[in-house]
Amino acid sequence: MAATRRRRAMLDEEAAAAALPEGAAAGEDENDDEDEAPEEVTFERARAAAEAERRRAGETARRDRELLKEKRRRREELFKDQKKRKLLPENILEELTSRPQINNKLSDTNKQGQNVGDGSQNKHEEHARRRNKERKKPVVRIKGSYMAVRLKDQDITSQHQQMAKDFVQKHLYGPGTNRTTANQFFSFANKKSPVKKAAVQFVNKSWGLEKKQKAKQFKKHWMATKNGVSCVGGKKPSPLKVDTNLLRKIWALS
Amino acid sequence: MGEFQVHRVRFFAYVPAGVRCLAHCARSARLALARTDGALEVYNFAANYFQEKRIPGHETRSTEALCWAAGDRLFGAGLSGDISEYDLEKLRVKYSLDAFGGPIWSMAADPSGTQLAVGCEDGSVKLFQVLPGKIQFERSLDRQRGRVLSLSWHPSGTRIAAGSIDVLRVFDVPSGRTIQRMLVDRRLQGPRSCECVVWSVAFLSDGTIASADSAGKVQFWDSEKGTLLETHPVSSSAALSLAVSEEEDSIVVGTSQGAVYQFQRLPVRWGGADSRWVRTKPFQHHTHDVRAVAHSQTALISGGLDAQLVIRPLMERMHGKGYDAALRKFTFPHRCLVSCAKKAGLLLFQFPQHLELWRLGATTAAGKDGDILPVSRAPEHLLQLKSKGPEHICSSCISPCGSWIAYSTASRLHLHRVRWENSSCSIKRVCKVPKWLCSAHQLLCSADSTRLFVASDQGTVHVLKLLEPGGCKHLQTLRPNSGGSEAVYLLAASADGDWLAAAGGDWKIHIYSLRSFKPRCTVPAYSCAVTALAIHPATNNLVIAHSDQQVFEFSIPDREYTAWSRKVQRQGLHKDWLERDTPITHITFNPKQPAHILLHDTYMFCILDKSLPLPDDATPLMNQTTLKQLSEKARRGHAHAFKICKKYQPLLFVDLLEEGCLVVVERPLMDIKTQLPPPVQQKKFGT
Repeated sequence: MAATRRRRAMLDEEAAAAALPEGAAAGEDENDDEDEAPEEVTFERARAAAEAERRRAGETARRDRELLKEKRRRREELFKDQKKRKLLPENILEELTSRPQINNKLSDTNKQGQNVGDGSQNKHEEHARRRNKERKKPVVRIKGSYMAVRLKDQDITSQHQQMAKDFVQKHLYGPGTNRTTANQFFSFANKKSPVKKAAVQFVNKSWGLEKKQKAKQFKKHWMATKNGVSCVGGKKPSPLKVDTNLLRKIWALS
Repeated sequence: MGEFQVHRVRFFAYVPAGVRCLAHCARSARLALARTDGALEVYNFAANYFQEKRIPGHETRSTEALCWAAGDRLFGAGLSGDISEYDLEKLRVKYSLDAFGGPIWSMAADPSGTQLAVGCEDGSVKLFQVLPGKIQFERSLDRQRGRVLSLSWHPSGTRIAAGSIDVLRVFDVPSGRTIQRMLVDRRLQGPRSCECVVWSVAFLSDGTIASADSAGKVQFWDSEKGTLLETHPVSSSAALSLAVSEEEDSIVVGTSQGAVYQFQRLPVRWGGADSRWVRTKPFQHHTHDVRAVAHSQTALISGGLDAQLVIRPLMERMHGKGYDAALRKFTFPHRCLVSCAKKAGLLLFQFPQHLELWRLGATTAAGKDGDILPVSRAPEHLLQLKSKGPEHICSSCISPCGSWIAYSTASRLHLHRVRWENSSCSIKRVCKVPKWLCSAHQLLCSADSTRLFVASDQGTVHVLKLLEPGGCKHLQTLRPNSGGSEAVYLLAASADGDWLAAAGGDWKIHIYSLRSFKPRCTVPAYSCAVTALAIHPATNNLVIAHSDQQVFEFSIPDREYTAWSRKVQRQGLHKDWLERDTPITHITFNPKQPAHILLHDTYMFCILDKSLPLPDDATPLMNQTTLKQLSEKARRGHAHAFKICKKYQPLLFVDLLEEGCLVVVERPLMDIKTQLPPPVQQKKFGT
């Protein structure tokens, strides 16, 4: 059955490509597909159909590959942009990279000086001056409000501390530890007393004050909007049908 | 007596931090307690369990172990990887030394007190030498895999037992090698895939090791042969802490369910030599995990994550059934966290990292005794002032007119000027506060709001002048004659601005004259800590409350105790008054009734009428309800000086405003319990 349908689909396409009136015949064919004998397809037609299908498959694969490439290219660009934004602006980078070059140049000239002349005092003085300059550590001044910090000093201890705290949390409050809420825990006395009372969150008025206040606010808004809508529209909206946008607004307010 | 309108304040949302470590020093009868927020407290057992020292916490400090070493030196170690020594005179951290092993999980001092062993995250046990004034790294024992969660020294000082995850090891200290390795069973019932964490170990002198682990069992091991001797399943959740008494015949174990069990070494047959460890007494005084226990000579001490410290004296070690053998529970700190601006009707609440300013509500109705009046204007939350930096606030105060707010952390003093427009306020920081003013454990504003008294940690008091548009100037430093060097923690100023009284850690009270800035006199020494001080506005008598519940009145102009105070001492205070659990934290006076003194502790407030006779032990102390039912004439016959009201509990602060109004700040325990971390589930039939 599936085979016939596929063949029919191929035939349909060819028919549609060729001429229109044949489409009507194909439609008629579809109507009584159970009773008819399978159709005969010539080799030429079959080969052409197979080729067409292979081409189509190839095209879809190529299209998918191209889409993937596009996607990858876009992501790469995005990452490059982000990286660029993270780096310091270009002029400062240039300053930083240019300083060591200057130092290198200094040391080069010094070596040259030594090779060329050792006798004259001027040159000795120059040597001394250049050596002094070399001995002084290069002071890199950065303009603006930046601060250079060593990554070593940052926060390994706090990472360790966090891991340690997570260990304790997992063993004391993790999955196997059978913890319960404060409401359940403190309601036992109410439930086992001879006069049974409700759970503590209902008996104790100061419990969950924030939740109760939020619920009150929500109720106020809800009543206000409900009454407002009914006044404007003239007909009472049914309580179950709620405008989701309105609900979202009310939740956002409360 | 008087009728008062009572402002019953329950909006101080104070939640104390849970107790994490305990360390008991038998020699000086003191207990050091570390909380989960990094704060450290020292309780003096001899002074009626008074919280005599308090070092405020730090955001990044999380103490995991405390120990006393070399006499009275206190060391703490935590997850930041540092070992700190605490300076108990100046009430701050003396120095910190990084152990370079990652977070530190456990620390123990050897029996001679000269070495500290520290168990680190990387699996190593490091030894430090305790030298005068510092500690020095000595060496590291064999490093093993797995973090070292608990440590214990053998009483001879030659072996250390270390508990890790699923395994218990014994190290030989001179060579540094592991001589024994014992595998701890995982859960006896239930899933066997959870690792068994050995939370606490204790090494006994006969070579037995007691261990408490997360499967809820207490096991006894033989360290010579490396075998298991006994297993006692104690709870279905974890057993978190363990402590042994000095004679090694009693062990106390704390569990995750809040239960504390005692194990005792009892002979198998009466009079026989063979003895075994038997679980004897269960105690359920906590609702949350008991993460720290200690064993003193006569009592079991436990501290839980419900912020309670429970001291349970053991009856077989106490002589008689007196007040000494009573159960003691401490939840609230023994100092004032609330300041009141009387003239402006404002309250300042001190939290660890911020301050809240509230205006009291008002009512226009009137009523009789016992009525609840409707509030016409609700109490208003005016300001929330967050402290900068990771350090917690040591102390705070507000001036009586409400225009100045000052608070101190361990490194700086902050002063703010508050401006009032109609009923709203704006706050501005005072910039030029001297930078060397830091770590003040008490701040007090003078009655006319022109001076600020800052208690320093060197035994002196600094006087700052508050300048009007928003500045301050250091006027003088008041130094005591005898050169005390411990931090001052209580201050009291007279209403006329002439006298200042200061009490320090050495329990001496110095009185200074504020006209000449010189010390005037010292109150005669008493053998107990001072818990509250106040100077009467009219007579300039200094009223002192001590931690053993004694009350004294010292006349500053005459430099001697008053006649009333001598009478009280001769007759002695009532037995019920002396047997109260909590110390008096605040004393105040009624300007319209010069003979009245208003005092309060956590469970009662009392108006002392000096003109009435003192009660003897035969008459009941709390007789207010009975007196109300008698006629006027009969009342006069039966009334005595102590008028106690226990209606408002637990109290954090009581003060008298003008016009017959009383402010009572309560903190119901249930409100605290709702903010605590989740407790372990209890399954009870029928619920």
